[in-house]
Amino acid sequence: MKKELKWAIVLAVIGGLLTTVAFVMAFTTAGVRTFGFVDTPGAVDTVYPLAPPDSQPTDGTLRYQRPWFSQKIFYFHVPLAEASLLVFTLAAVFAVLFLIKRKKSYDTRSYVGMETTLVFSVGTMITGVLWTIPSWLSDWTQIVPVMMAEPRLVTYLFMLLLVVAYFVLRNSIDDEERRAVYSSVFAIVAWLSAPITFFITRINPNGQHPVVFQSGMDPSNLIPFILGQLGMLALGFAIYSLRIAEESSREALAVIKDSFEG
Amino acid sequence: MPELRDDFRRKDSLPSADAKHPAGGRRPFREQSVSSMDVLPKINSWRQFRALLRKDIVMELRTKEMITSMGLYALLVLVIYYVALSQAGDNFDVGRIAAGLLLLVIVFTSMLGLNRSLVHEQDQGQLEALLLSPVDRPIIFFAKALTNLLFLGLVELVVTPIFLLFFVARSESVQFGPAWMLVLALLVGSIGIAGVGTLLATMSVNTKGKDFVLAVLFIPVMYPLLMAIIAALSAVIAGPLGWQTGYWQMLAVAVGYDVIMLTAAFGLYEFILSV
Repeated sequence: MKKELKWAIVLAVIGGLLTTVAFVMAFTTAGVRTFGFVDTPGAVDTVYPLAPPDSQPTDGTLRYQRPWFSQKIFYFHVPLAEASLLVFTLAAVFAVLFLIKRKKSYDTRSYVGMETTLVFSVGTMITGVLWTIPSWLSDWTQIVPVMMAEPRLVTYLFMLLLVVAYFVLRNSIDDEERRAVYSSVFAIVAWLSAPITFFITRINPNGQHPVVFQSGMDPSNLIPFILGQLGMLALGFAIYSLRIAEESSREALAVIKDSFEG
Repeated sequence: MPELRDDFRRKDSLPSADAKHPAGGRRPFREQSVSSMDVLPKINSWRQFRALLRKDIVMELRTKEMITSMGLYALLVLVIYYVALSQAGDNFDVGRIAAGLLLLVIVFTSMLGLNRSLVHEQDQGQLEALLLSPVDRPIIFFAKALTNLLFLGLVELVVTPIFLLFFVARSESVQFGPAWMLVLALLVGSIGIAGVGTLLATMSVNTKGKDFVLAVLFIPVMYPLLMAIIAALSAVIAGPLGWQTGYWQMLAVAVGYDVIMLTAAFGLYEFILSV
């Protein structure tokens, strides 16, 4: 068995286990955070505390702190986004290496890295939308104006468009060497958007998107978060190694076919 | 004098358009006497840059293809704007979105021009000839980017006043800032468009879907610059009180983008030309 395939299986098992544990912990042990308020006509039997007295409404209704159940997706959304940025960086590093060394295997690695980035960025977008609708919107039809006004979401969308453009460029070139060089150059140019989308919430604090890694977190939330991060990274590299194994077997097959056809 | 002869050979193989000496590039170098070398113009990067620039400008002056196609296209886009906004009613203030409309026509026109400027080179095999000549690759990049900037600037010079006359002049709520600030914002934007566009257009002319691929690559790469420039333009055209702070902030972002992207394009252009 190929080395990459072994790695892929080991990483997939580790990643699958860690992500499952994070999933179970997120819904059992992790504390439920609160976000916003709920008004009720009378007292309700609930474990969630009342809102501070100075923000209570005056018309007799009671205002409770709202449990933030949609926050559970945080344990997957953030690890997916991190994995996409890290694999993107890996793809860009291999693109630079290809331009320096001109070895075909580096181009394949960069290409596979971009594919993995595409998978993870689409996952990030889907989980992000799922989280946006209950947390930020009263009405889901507002989704486009709300998302396009959010710096992090817009920069991330353009990063995704750049990754898609990479594949458009790659598929419209026939010559193998030219395809490798052009896509490496474009991968480097496209990667410049990754730091922008990572730092935009720190540079421009006007958006609603929270800045992760700054606010402290309860241990019961932190443990599934870390497990989810590790698991998602392992899954990312599992997908990456699996595709590398596939590509190298495909190349080996092409060589064998050529030798038979003479 | 080996290094002198080497130097001489490089001079001789340059295109004869640059010839100040009568023989041009055609005379075999063995026949040249050493004394004629003093007459020869001194070849350096600056001269090569000027020769490349002159080549593009002369070609454009003879065919007038890029300026007419870009100018006409821009005017047509303005007409389409007029048609599109014809039913907007009296209460709709076009001045509020004027900056966006202006940037849109510039982006579309520049994509057309970038594609054309490199298709020329590709069709006639000029790019190969250019690569055979002993010119440094960065010089080719900067010459090409500067000609694209010049043509784009010319078109902007014609289109922007017409645009302002069409859409902004009648708008009441617009408080128009100083004209030089508008020009400065457009210039910073055009530098980025020409620089990055030259890199991407050189890639896209060698693909199967030339102008489509250019559009797919160009717009996402340009996004941060377009956002910054549109904010700066809006600040000038329809700016509320205190708009100048926003203008300079956004211009700084755009200049930062230009510096980073031009450095990247300048460094990567050599690889594009190598295949």
